[in-house]
Amino acid sequence: MGSLYSEHLTWLHRVPAAVKLLFFAVLGTAQFLVQGHTLLIISAVACGLMFASLGRATLSARKLIASVLLAALLILAFHTYMRQPLEGMVSVLRLFSAALLGIALTLTTRTRDLLDVFERLLSPLQRVGIRSDRLSLQLAMMLRFTEHFFVVWTRLDDAHRIRTGKAGGLRILAPLTIKMLMSARKAADTLELRLGE
Amino acid sequence: MKSSQSLALVSLFAALMAVLGLIPKIDLPLGVPITLQTLGVMLAGCLLGPKRGLQALLLFMAAVALGLPLLSGGRGGFGVFMAPSAGYLIGMPFGAFVTGWLMSMLPSTTPRGTALSAFVASSLGGLFTVHAFGVAGLVKLANLSWTQAFFGTLVFVPGDLIKCALCATVVHTVARGMPDWRFGGRAL
Repeated sequence: MGSLYSEHLTWLHRVPAAVKLLFFAVLGTAQFLVQGHTLLIISAVACGLMFASLGRATLSARKLIASVLLAALLILAFHTYMRQPLEGMVSVLRLFSAALLGIALTLTTRTRDLLDVFERLLSPLQRVGIRSDRLSLQLAMMLRFTEHFFVVWTRLDDAHRIRTGKAGGLRILAPLTIKMLMSARKAADTLELRLGE
Repeated sequence: MKSSQSLALVSLFAALMAVLGLIPKIDLPLGVPITLQTLGVMLAGCLLGPKRGLQALLLFMAAVALGLPLLSGGRGGFGVFMAPSAGYLIGMPFGAFVTGWLMSMLPSTTPRGTALSAFVASSLGGLFTVHAFGVAGLVKLANLSWTQAFFGTLVFVPGDLIKCALCATVVHTVARGMPDWRFGGRAL
């Protein structure tokens, strides 16, 4: 399973992950604090130009951008129907700008780099017993379990088809859950041997 | 519960959320879409309890934030936390926590009783809590009024009630198939 990171290198790829995350978090939050229409329009144009400057790197995010645009249009249509077009315009500008910032961050930052930033940000929580250094292990296990889910689902579905001649659908969700809980117990035993706890 | 067991179960249910997001949406009459990810919230709470249910959903959210396309429709990345539906996303970990907390308080001595408890816990946690956050998100991000956002979210309630029933069915089967399972994260 791949991430949305784009291999087409741009100027934004060279900016460190922590700097981008801070910049986008501050700018993204600011979108919802600014009230003036002029400022929001300037912000939306600036975000749009920044996004456009990424060129081919944005191609993989077409579906995401389409869903954001659709949501924005629906909101504008709703507010216009309720005779509040200016409110709708403010919402659309905010959503458009903040979403483009978020998508740009995702497209130009490797998962590993973001993970490093997350682990550093969460490291103070180790004082209260939260193991931030386990984050990458848990993510790796999550991805492994995701693949395993589909393997087990396919096996159960095939067995159901042989017995009944029909696809299992949601009927196999319960036996799938039991099988996966048992798999988790086996994985936990292996982890205990490896981690010693 | 041992740290290794906790780690494995949290990762498992984060994976379940990913799997449910990869299943295409189902359209109810009148074109209302239902996706299955809220079912993952309910199951995480009922089967893991409040603490680990919350951790599983936080792990899933971290994976989404890191850019993995795990939300329904192949969405992921930071942009989704700025969309009108962001309230529902943020509500998911809290929904798992409330579901788990209720499940730990409600009776689970028989499979049928456990299933009934799961239905109640899912309705209040996975449905009510997630929708409450969703409504707040619509008010803040889409600039709707509270009344508009409330009526807007009501259209998804029938689908979510079906998911509560599905969660109860799964819990019933787990209670019968794994009689040693501690629902709601109850201690041994």
